[in-house]
Amino acid sequence: MTNQNTPKKTEKKNISRRDFLKIGAATAGAATSIVMPKIGFPTFIRQTKMELNFLTWFWQEAGRGDAWRMMIKKFHESQSDIHINEGGYGQEDYFSQILIQAKSGKIDGDLFTETPDGFLRLMKDGHTISLEDVVKKAGVTLSKAQDMLRKDGEVNGLDIVTVRFGLLYNKALYDKAGLGEPTSIDDWSTAVKSLTNKPNQFGIYSPHVASDPFSTWFILTQWPVLFDGVWADGKKPRLTSEPVIKGLQLFKDMYDNAMPQGTDNGTANIMFGNSQIAQMLVVSAAVNQWKTLTKDEQLYGNLRSAKPFWPGGKGITRIHPICINANTEPEKQAAAKEFLAWLYKKENYQQLLEGCLDVIPAIEGGIREEYRKTLTWADGYDATTAITVPEVLGDFVLYNDELGQIVVPHFQEVLSGTTSVEDAMAVAQQEAEDLAARVFV
Amino acid sequence: MAVQAGVRVGSSIKPVERQRRDKLPYMLALPIIIYEGIFILIPIIQQIGSSFTSDVIGMGAVKWVGLANYDRMLHDRNFGNSLRVTLIFMVGTVIVAVGAGLLAALLMNQPFRGRSIARTIMTLPWAFPDLPTVLVFYWILNPNFGVANLFIRFLMPWLEQNPKWLLDINLAMPLVIAIASWKAFPFYGLVILSAMQAIPYELYEAARVDGANHRQAFRYITLPALLPTLMLMAVLACIFAFRQFVVVWLTTGGGPGRVTETLVVLVYKTAFKSFDFSYGATIGVAGFIVVFAITLLFVFLQRRQEAEAAI
Repeated sequence: MTNQNTPKKTEKKNISRRDFLKIGAATAGAATSIVMPKIGFPTFIRQTKMELNFLTWFWQEAGRGDAWRMMIKKFHESQSDIHINEGGYGQEDYFSQILIQAKSGKIDGDLFTETPDGFLRLMKDGHTISLEDVVKKAGVTLSKAQDMLRKDGEVNGLDIVTVRFGLLYNKALYDKAGLGEPTSIDDWSTAVKSLTNKPNQFGIYSPHVASDPFSTWFILTQWPVLFDGVWADGKKPRLTSEPVIKGLQLFKDMYDNAMPQGTDNGTANIMFGNSQIAQMLVVSAAVNQWKTLTKDEQLYGNLRSAKPFWPGGKGITRIHPICINANTEPEKQAAAKEFLAWLYKKENYQQLLEGCLDVIPAIEGGIREEYRKTLTWADGYDATTAITVPEVLGDFVLYNDELGQIVVPHFQEVLSGTTSVEDAMAVAQQEAEDLAARVFV
Repeated sequence: MAVQAGVRVGSSIKPVERQRRDKLPYMLALPIIIYEGIFILIPIIQQIGSSFTSDVIGMGAVKWVGLANYDRMLHDRNFGNSLRVTLIFMVGTVIVAVGAGLLAALLMNQPFRGRSIARTIMTLPWAFPDLPTVLVFYWILNPNFGVANLFIRFLMPWLEQNPKWLLDINLAMPLVIAIASWKAFPFYGLVILSAMQAIPYELYEAARVDGANHRQAFRYITLPALLPTLMLMAVLACIFAFRQFVVVWLTTGGGPGRVTETLVVLVYKTAFKSFDFSYGATIGVAGFIVVFAITLLFVFLQRRQEAEAAI
């Protein structure tokens, strides 16, 4: 009995060499699993994929979303260490959602795209990092326009889509009405009215309903530019300046006579696709959605952008950068840089640009001549002179939404016919000056 | 004797057990106190704290500004406008929604064939989610394509063009009140109906014997009996109307101009569209005070009714 028990006691007290190795291996494994992610060993040592969360509104944009998915798939096939996941919101809410996340402490993505004004605000608040090494690795030369994405001389965002405002019209409807491309604002105004046959056809649409606050302000900003105007000059709002008043009066005139009033932006896009709306003052990037969504196969071939007929011939040109979150883990930042360097290689960039049906390249040689020749609708956009968002909004570029919150409600009063543009903008000017006094201290 | 009996009963329970029983109500209330503390009380305290700071994204670090936000609020035309708009919306919704609820309850209290089905149908607007309801009205009231244009053209054939409905400064608020009331009236109707069914039928029989007609029966029996419920519904309607965001935001976004910009819409716009969190919090505190006052009024009315009932 004693002999039987003794070895058992010995087993409990002494650890065999095999047990020692087992425990050692388990401890090392546990320690490695805890420590490895923090010290950021290369993924090939860690043997796990680096998951990156990429926030953008592109996923929800017809045509552009497909092009991006195609590129992400290509990237996934080109390597096995990094995996990109889709994230983000629709464009109407995107900027405010990202800003609220930033306010809460951290943007919920490793990579994110931004509007030009939103980017400047986030860059100022330290939510982006330098991407100079990405540009070097990709071996490309950035367009001059990307200088606005620099902080202390270093680029903090890479332009991933540049869009320009212009007048996009349906040539078939113009031809049917016996009209040629407008040559002056008066000419255009007459054409817009003659293309209207309510409720079956409308001469023009521009967002104006309260459920589209982002789109309303986004497109309204271009209207004074048709009279070579700006909304602000440095810290001074110019809401009562002649070009702003004239631009808004023109909008009001067209709203009264030629717009499908009370129609939201989404519905108007469908109507444009069905040739129920003749034209829109819209950015070049919008074309892809009609190519992708419309059932009318002829429509895409009938789209044209008018050569600038307005004074100054300027169109707001918006650079939308892709950035890396400054508050994400360093190894995720490194992986995100890998992805961006791959994406910004000329052949990949060209493929993305063509998939998105974009027309303004962000890098030298970013657009192939053969592809450009196929874009029959793009001549007017190309002929329009670029004016940047900071040039149009002055220092209010950092407070773009705030300015929109002031202008749009007053302009809605104008649209409802209860006040004149001059009176509404006089009140708005005062409110904008109050805003300036608060924010530019 | 009662006291003695109480003592006797109490003394039969062991002290430890009594202590456990004394704590039981507190233990049962603890989860909800913790929940409300974390998700209601702390945010309210934070919001009050935030109202004394300047906290705008892109304007640098959060700064203590004392009463500056309150000073700005008192001189802010938009805040004054929102208070007025909120009051109009509140009063309008109370009158229309509770009034419609009362009418619906009177109708549903009548014996008729298919009453159960009618009651079920009556609850549908309340049961529908807000978003589809608003979208339906949005399309009904579209100035170009809405079916409301057909009706108005039929009723008023001399009109040269369709009304702008939700885009019209004079029509926007009545329409928003109508939509919000359409959504809410079934709730009030059901509560009033249940109160109506609790009125003893003998009272009506006695009144009929005394020669009272339907109108008099309503005036002297139904209405006094329903008064406590109606007052409760009115106070609840005030609170619900004050908090109403979805219907207002989705139909008009506070516009056209600012004619439907209630306090909650202004808070949302200020905090999440203009990103001025601290000023949004300040307006929110003002709103909190208004709701708190209404709630106090409700408690006061309830206590007075209880006191009257006791007499």
